Amino acid sequence: MSYIDELIGAVGKEKVLTDPAELFVYGTDWSPRTPTEFNPPDVVVLPRTTRDVQRTIKIAFEHDIPVTAGGGLTGMLGGAVPIHGGIYIDTTTMNSVVEVDSKNQTIRVQAGATLQEVNDAVHPYDLWLPHQPESKWVSTVGSAIACDNDSTFGVRYGKILNCLLSAEMVTGTGEVLELGHRKAHFTSSGYKLMHLLAGSEGTLGVVTEATLKLEPIPETRRVDMLVFPRLGAAVDYLSRLLKAGLCIEAAHINCKHRLKFYTHSYKQKFGKDPTIPAWAEALLAISFAGDKKVVDFQREQAIELSKEFEAQLVEERELVESWWASKYTLEFEPFKQKWPDSQTKKKFGAADPGIPVGRLEEFYHKFIQTAEKHRLEILGMNAYLEHPNSIGFSLSCAVFVDYRSKEEVKRFREYHDELSKMAIAFEGTMSTFMSDTYQKAPYLELEHGASLRYMKEIKRLFDPKEIMNPGKKFLRRGDSP
Amino acid sequence: MNSLEEFKDELETCFGTSCGFCERGCPVYQSLKVKTLCMKGRNRTMLGLLQGRFEITPAVVEAAFECTLCGNCDRWCSLKNTEHTRAFREYLLKHGIAPMKEHASLVASIKNYGNPWFQPRSARNRWTRGLNIPKAAPGKQDTLFFAGCTSAVMKPLIPSLVASAKLLQKAGVKFATMGQDEPCCGSTLRRVGQTEAFEDLEKKNLEKFESLGIKKIVTACPGCYTTLKESLEKAGSKIQVVHVAQEVSDLVKGGKLKVRKTHEKMTYHDPCHLGRLGGVFEEPRDIVKAVADLVEMPNSRYESRCCGAGAGLQSAFPKLSRDLASKRIAEAKATGATTIITCCPFCETQLRTVPGIDVVDLMELLLDASENEKDIRDDKEAEK
Repeated sequence: MSYIDELIGAVGKEKVLTDPAELFVYGTDWSPRTPTEFNPPDVVVLPRTTRDVQRTIKIAFEHDIPVTAGGGLTGMLGGAVPIHGGIYIDTTTMNSVVEVDSKNQTIRVQAGATLQEVNDAVHPYDLWLPHQPESKWVSTVGSAIACDNDSTFGVRYGKILNCLLSAEMVTGTGEVLELGHRKAHFTSSGYKLMHLLAGSEGTLGVVTEATLKLEPIPETRRVDMLVFPRLGAAVDYLSRLLKAGLCIEAAHINCKHRLKFYTHSYKQKFGKDPTIPAWAEALLAISFAGDKKVVDFQREQAIELSKEFEAQLVEERELVESWWASKYTLEFEPFKQKWPDSQTKKKFGAADPGIPVGRLEEFYHKFIQTAEKHRLEILGMNAYLEHPNSIGFSLSCAVFVDYRSKEEVKRFREYHDELSKMAIAFEGTMSTFMSDTYQKAPYLELEHGASLRYMKEIKRLFDPKEIMNPGKKFLRRGDSP
Repeated sequence: MNSLEEFKDELETCFGTSCGFCERGCPVYQSLKVKTLCMKGRNRTMLGLLQGRFEITPAVVEAAFECTLCGNCDRWCSLKNTEHTRAFREYLLKHGIAPMKEHASLVASIKNYGNPWFQPRSARNRWTRGLNIPKAAPGKQDTLFFAGCTSAVMKPLIPSLVASAKLLQKAGVKFATMGQDEPCCGSTLRRVGQTEAFEDLEKKNLEKFESLGIKKIVTACPGCYTTLKESLEKAGSKIQVVHVAQEVSDLVKGGKLKVRKTHEKMTYHDPCHLGRLGGVFEEPRDIVKAVADLVEMPNSRYESRCCGAGAGLQSAFPKLSRDLASKRIAEAKATGATTIITCCPFCETQLRTVPGIDVVDLMELLLDASENEKDIRDDKEAEK
């Protein structure tokens, strides 16, 4: 009996896909790759319950079959692409709400629910999940945990780990574990194994359920943009706002190149790109949220303090709203959504390093030089504040990639690797929201040194046969770097 | 119409984009959660097929035909997704895939009887009995009322046509019908991938309409509305095409039809062809608001969810089709409305398969509210 027959017997025929066309569509994600670069799995399982996932992994364990779990497949670096074939677990079929505890402000949900589905479920309770990447309509709870992706509102609420109280997972042996502290908002007991899941990319196991902390929906939100003569001035300004005690909800520093990518609806409306003063090198988008009186007060204070930094408030509301639509509300004109329009010839490709705050401008110049060296069109840099009430940021160093050209995709990968390694040399990190995947796997020792051995031991404990998302984070024997 | 190969660039753009925004509103994907059945996966399937990555398998055929062409994916995209799917169906038929047996019988019926329901041509005119509607003749009338196959030959739908005709007559609109000579608009042929048969019919229809010398076609069916509008505009014809809801709404607004308003809570279901694909949202709502208290479903206008009847899904995938209808009815019931109003013969038939809420045709609703002019006079007296 083949393992696929065993799978069919274990979970039911209707939950197993084997038709080559059905498998094919799971062979790619959002990362820059040529249209022929598909890595389909050998079989897809559509689980409905944790038990289905457990049965699947137990069969994979017995037969030494690779297992890759995925959600919306919007990863930017191939994290959930089953590069070694085997079984693909499409978790999006597990999207039920288990419990909403409105008093405790928590939700227990199956991990295949999209972030938007979570928000749809808790909206009637006047609550929301503030972990909000741009892909929230498709990105699932499980993939947000596994990828540790970015959030628009990181400076106030942090990222998914700041919302995660507990998670159920199935390990690489098929054991079901609950990691975390149930409904308590924090703990000082035991080792924080739950934290291992953030950015683990499914290499330890598959997250099947999660308990997430929610926040009350603010009454009002006010978004503004300010232009600065330097990127560093925007950073200093944000630091000043935090010192003043303001509670910033979202803060994104865009370089002047980046603006054009985020103003699709402005272009739809006016038929041209927005303009900012010629002297402006940085554009800061910032939001405050809460009761109107408090928001108005904070905004007023923020504008007042901006005078100390040679900043200028962007008065053109259409520009601000267009940026915010692209980033958060997704209120695009019908039939005119941003993404396909901006990817017809070339697509978005990024490196996601983290660097010391004081070296932003220095790194920005390196980004420009590196993109030029690899002959890639510059899309721009964005620094997102991602840590609650703190100045620390994620960097998105983006270029346009002609994804129909093998040669240009190769150059993009070289560019990505060079910036990742450079971030380590800057005393920073290779990754802040895309994780390592196969792309950064060759450089993990460079980033983590001797501690990599401990990581490998942890991996072995959860996944002794190395069947869980092989080739991601750690090169598999025989993988070429 | 473009062939699938001509859309290769768009398929690659979808591959490059991979945003998946089409998944959230796709009624079929949300029911079955198989990625080949949402537009992102369907586009990838077409791309793989063109790349020769796999043969035409059963899953490929399902990916092409298990879709209502409701256009929700287009709302969240700038690619012509429903056109890709239509071309995909045509591609499969050209590459030796026999039409689905349910679709083959629809096509045969259109060819032999001029309607997809195996009804004799004479059945098409039954609904006009006693209404005194003239038959269209060259140069005689400016306005042609186009009943459409489904409402004309399906008994439960006839009252909606009668209501439309009576309302137009009440308002003094001079119009004619083509009686049993009324052709099929070809919407079904086009959407199940029978492009050649459709283009042949489209040409003949155009000649017939032009020979009548009419200036306007008022359609009862949203499918006829989008199909005829597109065909005539493409051919550069000066004949205007409107849906009856647009025509009648103008008459209500212009005071030519007096109506009596109640405060019953009713909701309105946008037929995909009239709303999202036809851009007609306000006129039907204006009518409902003139007659009752309108409450909106969470998914309305551009975000409206398909009833599950479209593009051959009802005939070829009845279980899935009914599941989509149940979801839409559940959404309507959650608003607290007593009645769901719509103005498409397919939506009405489909939504009536699910119990729990009254499904009423927009024209029947309006006729009911406007019929008794004495009541209206009494109401006005009472208000005074």
